Amino acid sequence: MKKGYPRFFLLPGLLLLIAIIIFPLLFTIRVTFSSWNVSQSGLNFIGGENWGEMVRDTRYWSSLLRLFYLSFLTVAIQYVLGFAIALFAWKGIAARRFYRVLWLIPMMTTPSLMAIIWRSIFTEDIGALNGLLTRVGLDPVNWLTESGPANVAITIAEVWQWTPFMFLILLAGLLSLPKEPFMAAAIDGASAWKTFARVTFPMMAPISIGAIMIRLIDASKIFDSVFTLTRGGPGNATETPAAYIFQRSLQDFQIAYGSTLALMYLILAILTLTIIGKVFARLSKPRGI
Amino acid sequence: MSLILKNVSVTTEKDGVILDDISFEFKPGRIYILIGRTTSGKTSLMRAIAGLLPIDSGQITMNGEDFEDKPIWERDVAVVYQQFINYPNKSVLQNVEFPLLRKGLKKSEAREVALASINKVGLGDYLDRKPAQLSGGQQQRVALARSLSRQSHIMLLDEPLMNLDYKLREQLRVEFKELFNSQKDAVTIYATTEPPEALILGAEILVMHEGRIIQYGSPTEVYEQPQSTTVARVISDPPMSILPVSLSAGEIRFGDGYSQPIPAKMKNFKEGHYQVGIRANDIVSAKSGGEKGTISLVEVSGSETLVYVDTPAGEVVLQMEGIHDVKVGESISIELPGNRLFLFETNGALCVSPDSAGE
Amino acid sequence: MYKVLKATFITIWSLFVLFPIMWAITTSFKPESAVVNGATFIPFLEYQPSLIGWKAILPGPDSLTNLLTPTLNSFIVTAGATAVSLIFGSLAAYGLSRFTYGWKNYSNADIIFFFVSQRIMPPVVLAIPFFLLLKELKLLDTHLGLILVLTSGLMPIVVWLMVDFFNALPREIDEMAMLEGCNPIQAFFRTILPLSKPGLTVAGMFCVIFGWNDIFFALTLTATKVLTLPVAVIALNGTVTPYWILAASTVFSIIPLVGLAFVIERFLSRGNLGGAVR
Repeated sequence: MKKGYPRFFLLPGLLLLIAIIIFPLLFTIRVTFSSWNVSQSGLNFIGGENWGEMVRDTRYWSSLLRLFYLSFLTVAIQYVLGFAIALFAWKGIAARRFYRVLWLIPMMTTPSLMAIIWRSIFTEDIGALNGLLTRVGLDPVNWLTESGPANVAITIAEVWQWTPFMFLILLAGLLSLPKEPFMAAAIDGASAWKTFARVTFPMMAPISIGAIMIRLIDASKIFDSVFTLTRGGPGNATETPAAYIFQRSLQDFQIAYGSTLALMYLILAILTLTIIGKVFARLSKPRGI
Repeated sequence: MSLILKNVSVTTEKDGVILDDISFEFKPGRIYILIGRTTSGKTSLMRAIAGLLPIDSGQITMNGEDFEDKPIWERDVAVVYQQFINYPNKSVLQNVEFPLLRKGLKKSEAREVALASINKVGLGDYLDRKPAQLSGGQQQRVALARSLSRQSHIMLLDEPLMNLDYKLREQLRVEFKELFNSQKDAVTIYATTEPPEALILGAEILVMHEGRIIQYGSPTEVYEQPQSTTVARVISDPPMSILPVSLSAGEIRFGDGYSQPIPAKMKNFKEGHYQVGIRANDIVSAKSGGEKGTISLVEVSGSETLVYVDTPAGEVVLQMEGIHDVKVGESISIELPGNRLFLFETNGALCVSPDSAGE
Repeated sequence: MYKVLKATFITIWSLFVLFPIMWAITTSFKPESAVVNGATFIPFLEYQPSLIGWKAILPGPDSLTNLLTPTLNSFIVTAGATAVSLIFGSLAAYGLSRFTYGWKNYSNADIIFFFVSQRIMPPVVLAIPFFLLLKELKLLDTHLGLILVLTSGLMPIVVWLMVDFFNALPREIDEMAMLEGCNPIQAFFRTILPLSKPGLTVAGMFCVIFGWNDIFFALTLTATKVLTLPVAVIALNGTVTPYWILAASTVFSIIPLVGLAFVIERFLSRGNLGGAVR
């Protein structure tokens, strides 16, 4: 076939995306070799100073480490809960259409605005949660100013917001599964648990991997909940790279240094996600379904 | 005015050589049957003609026009696939109208032609149904109506009856013959793995094997004079039994020493190693004497029984009329009538075939 | 036993899902005094419901802000970015599903990864260069500027979903269309596109959700003319956080999308989403 037709399909989208992304990307790379900040704007050249500073910036590296476990933890919880409620909403409960709508709603809400609502729930003096706790005779918790509870608060907000995404993708997957393997399992007299472990779960593997990957990509950008709930605090106990970079670039206006952190973050994110993608691809292959 | 293939070859990285130097002239108004095993290159040959498979070398011309620069959509080739392919979102009528409108027919003309063609395949009552609401056989009829109504100069059918049940197959086979006869100017090429289909449609037969056309001729020619053991196997259903033998001292000697007198037609061949072939319905189970073997498999189908027998000379398949109560593991004696034997060289080439069937 | 566990789980999860939303709704009807002096839960008993929060955001004498223009802006920007992403994204996805592209050592899988990887870019990385770029192009604080920027985040989702969707459609359909006189472009628009409604609907819904809910780009790349709804709400935050107003405007801004939950559910029940995620 002539080359023109394949190109007609791919090139407009590809070129549009490149056109949108190329300048910001090149600019970000270039600016990391300058000293652009609040008192000195413009692209001078100072060599690798920013990169050197980044290597020594322990606050940055600990935020990356925190992001690593925060995103894996929240996505893991979202996957397990999302799968569970998807199984319930799949079949076997009354009024499942009602529950399906209800359980989808959090995904529809604006994360940055819901973060404000979460703040009004977790806020320590006038928040809903401490209000409830004191009412039942328990001690109030320092949800936003103590490191442990603050991380719990962020995890709860993330799980609430994004479990429905897992739920939706997994439920749609469950609904599209062929019926024959289940009939075969029923004829063999397999228990509910065995049917799940031997039939449902393996058949859902490709969809699960897709959903987990896209959630990991989005979770690597955790920002709204952290910024609105704790501003990275107490101290830096809940700070993610996105929040730290936001502070350096857009609040302290250290554009060059902020971009250096951002670029490194991007490189690491792509590397990590590529490795995870490869691992998943290998894990799912031998099952052959 | 015909479809001419000259030295057409296709090699792919994944499957190696799939079409190997094919040259052939297809004339309009005739039906050509491509017969061969599943990977023999039948589908590839059709896809190459349609333009769906780019060819590496060689030339395809239609009425003197080179196909090389003609993209698929300008070749005017109608195809019926083994799977029933229709547009799922269009009704039966819209499905059949679609190619006609693409061809530039007016809306009213297209409708008229489409209706005629749908009636011809007997789906007049289902005009507004979607393909998914039809049975497999009906879906294949829609596909057929769509291809027939176009009056294309080239019509390709790739095992169109493959996925249908036995009864429907029988019925459509007969209908096909009539339908194709109305396509006087078209080259019709029909691929199948089933010898009966090839014989019933009564057309020119091309036997394909490993990307080559290994024999071409009328059904009787190919059936009675298979040029090699490969053709003999492909064209015989159940497959022909082929056994290694040697000719010496006026006898055919089988692998285990069993021997029988040489038939008159084979007398002129010099002594040495050969292969003989015999069709399943020519083998007779003997009361006594003959070659002894053990039954390894029994298939009862309709009014016949197929018995697979392991003999010291090799595996033999025999067909018995009626239903017989024979069991796997039993021993059986068989006779290979000398006047029904094909003689092949050890490399598979035909030496001599028996007199025509039935005598 | 299993049944009890299941019912308990379903109830707890449903309460958890509902709690923040109920809290937002009740807070939006609280007077200032019922918020700043500690948590209150039961209306009439613990506080007298008040419309002060809602009056602040709806047109009228007590209005603090106008949320209607931002709502319109959000509609325009979301619809625009969704349309652009769907058109270009599904064309590219179809190409990647049907043809083999090769450039040096890069294969289709690499091109798909390139598309998807655009989603890895955190908005903070892009905010400043986008600001400079749009300023240079005179697109700062315009609908078009924001639409283009959002497209870079939405098109990857469309490509990701639609490549799988097109892969699941039998190739024989496009081949048939080409054999019947359509070039690949006509084959796509006349036979494949009409079959792609379920896939396009799912991809479109994701675009709407992510586009409507974006705050970062809207915050950094628009000022007054193209204020979007979430940004306008955030801007209400003052020295004393007026939770009652913020709650009212949050409820206001999520209503349009909650309707989408019903649309998605209908698609699920008709079995139309299945093929879209395979």
